[in-house]
Amino acid sequence: MSELHASPPRRRAASRDGTADLHRRREGRAGYVFVAPTTLLLAVFYLWPLAQTVVFSFSDWNPGTGRVTESVGLENFTHVLTDPEFRRAVLNTLVYVVTVVPCSMGLGLVFAALLARPFRGRGLYRTLIFTPYIAPIVGSALIFSFLLTPLGGLVNQGLGLLGVRPIAFLTTEPWAMVSVVVFSTWQLVGYTMIIYSAALTNVPESYHEAATLDGAGPVRRFLSISLPLVAPTSGFLAITGVIGALQVFTQVYVLTGGGPLGSTETVLYWIYEQGFVLFNGGPASAAAVLLLVFGILASVLQLTVISRRDTVELS
Amino acid sequence: MTTTLEASTVASTSAGRGPGRRQPASRRLRRALPTFLRHAVLIVASVAAFGPFVWMFLASVKSPAEALAYPPTFLPREWRFDNYVRLFDAVPFQLYYRNSILVTVATTAGQVLTSLAAGYAFARLRFPGRNVLFVVLLAALLVPFEVVFTPLISLLASLGWLNTFQGLIVPNIPSILGAFLFRQFFEGFPTEIEDASRLDGAGVWRRFWSVIAPMAAPMIGSFAILSFVYNWNNFFFQFLVVTRTEFFTLPVGLSQLQSTHGTSFNLLMAGSALAILPVFVVFLLFQRQIVTALSGGLR
Repeated sequence: MSELHASPPRRRAASRDGTADLHRRREGRAGYVFVAPTTLLLAVFYLWPLAQTVVFSFSDWNPGTGRVTESVGLENFTHVLTDPEFRRAVLNTLVYVVTVVPCSMGLGLVFAALLARPFRGRGLYRTLIFTPYIAPIVGSALIFSFLLTPLGGLVNQGLGLLGVRPIAFLTTEPWAMVSVVVFSTWQLVGYTMIIYSAALTNVPESYHEAATLDGAGPVRRFLSISLPLVAPTSGFLAITGVIGALQVFTQVYVLTGGGPLGSTETVLYWIYEQGFVLFNGGPASAAAVLLLVFGILASVLQLTVISRRDTVELS
Repeated sequence: MTTTLEASTVASTSAGRGPGRRQPASRRLRRALPTFLRHAVLIVASVAAFGPFVWMFLASVKSPAEALAYPPTFLPREWRFDNYVRLFDAVPFQLYYRNSILVTVATTAGQVLTSLAAGYAFARLRFPGRNVLFVVLLAALLVPFEVVFTPLISLLASLGWLNTFQGLIVPNIPSILGAFLFRQFFEGFPTEIEDASRLDGAGVWRRFWSVIAPMAAPMIGSFAILSFVYNWNNFFFQFLVVTRTEFFTLPVGLSQLQSTHGTSFNLLMAGSALAILPVFVVFLLFQRQIVTALSGGLR
């Protein structure tokens, strides 16, 4: 930091009479100072904990006391993989993936297609549908817990009109998971809509015109032109959706607290409980390593999808 | 889809003007139907998406009994704006507000400054090891925060940074995505202006502040807005770092309010409204930048 303040006057003096080459080399050295804040902070608060995660996944570590005992081999990994609660958490995360990801993508694509061309009211619709994505999850999850409450909640009052008896959505199976899924879809649709909107504007107008001349209706044109042409975007959204599912915590914490009986506990929630409630740092780290491996696989897949998307756009 | 739209507007204007060739009713219906269906779907979607926020606000100004009354009232029978006063009496919401503003502004400013500097250096300055560093950053992008949080929190604990502002702010400052975006921005930007100012004798530092930063203003703007929203809404990290009320941010305080006042839905909704309102204001002011930044791959 002291270097940062000391160097400018000298540099200015040199730049008046120095050669271009000398100049560039000096400026090059300034490059270290420019990248230092990001890289050093990243090393301390990201890469160092990452290294620790890997080491701790083979150790007996208590995050509460900080006590670490020597390598326990693969014990943590066998603990994780044989723990019925972890299996349940993986299963719940899978349920989340196969419901929230396709639902949010499907609805987002339909809304994006309906909003693709200008008409009166389009901006308002888009703004309203997008707002859930921008709101803090704690706040909107609290709204849902209010809407879903058994006695006096709006949803149960509506169901009461149909003769349905009040359902304790957030505290009974399978309704708790259904609630988490509906909330997460509601929260994500605005994002998928925006991404699909951007992709649809890249679809050439002439394709639609040609198809219209051939007598294709709007539904047919959507299925045969828009849908195939946004396929790379769908791939991108599917993979970011999977990565996002690995990071689900807040809505589960607020809506159900992981219950009832672990039926809404996600992988991240399990890691949090092991690390911060039960102080089982070893298994928590082992699960984090598994999460990392899975996340990297998904990201590599994503990179190949993105590069394919580029070639599609170029051709 | 354009044709449908154009057809329907043509149909409605010709109908409005009266004279002119009238279309057969069945044909008019066939053309108007898609427009009608489009609006029907979008109205249902808009109500489902935004309705909960309306309901939140209305419940926040109802009495506790009316918030859960059957049959439900839409507008409050009696507007209880003092619910908000009662909320501030029940929990130190003004403190949560102050903490959230402080943490969000400081983190966002830190992210913008460090990412701008790093992105510029990676794009324009040549120094040994640059490419290696960049690849390391690329690789780090693959590691989600969720993988490292247990050792990170115990690191913060050993630094004595739990329940501190630096603990809430500093670990979130390095932004790989930000560095990438600014690098990309500068690589697509002509070097002439910089070269000119270099010939004028401006050193790299002065150039950075007086030429480069202003040039990048639009990019800084959209990155800052999205960072602001993200940091304001961040719950998981803040929830792990703070346990003492005096350092609670809005999301943490709100989750705490749920465990202490779980059944007072009017107070809970008032709290939610106060946490949501600032992002809605930012969104209304900067909607275009947010949407463009998101569709450009920022998240």
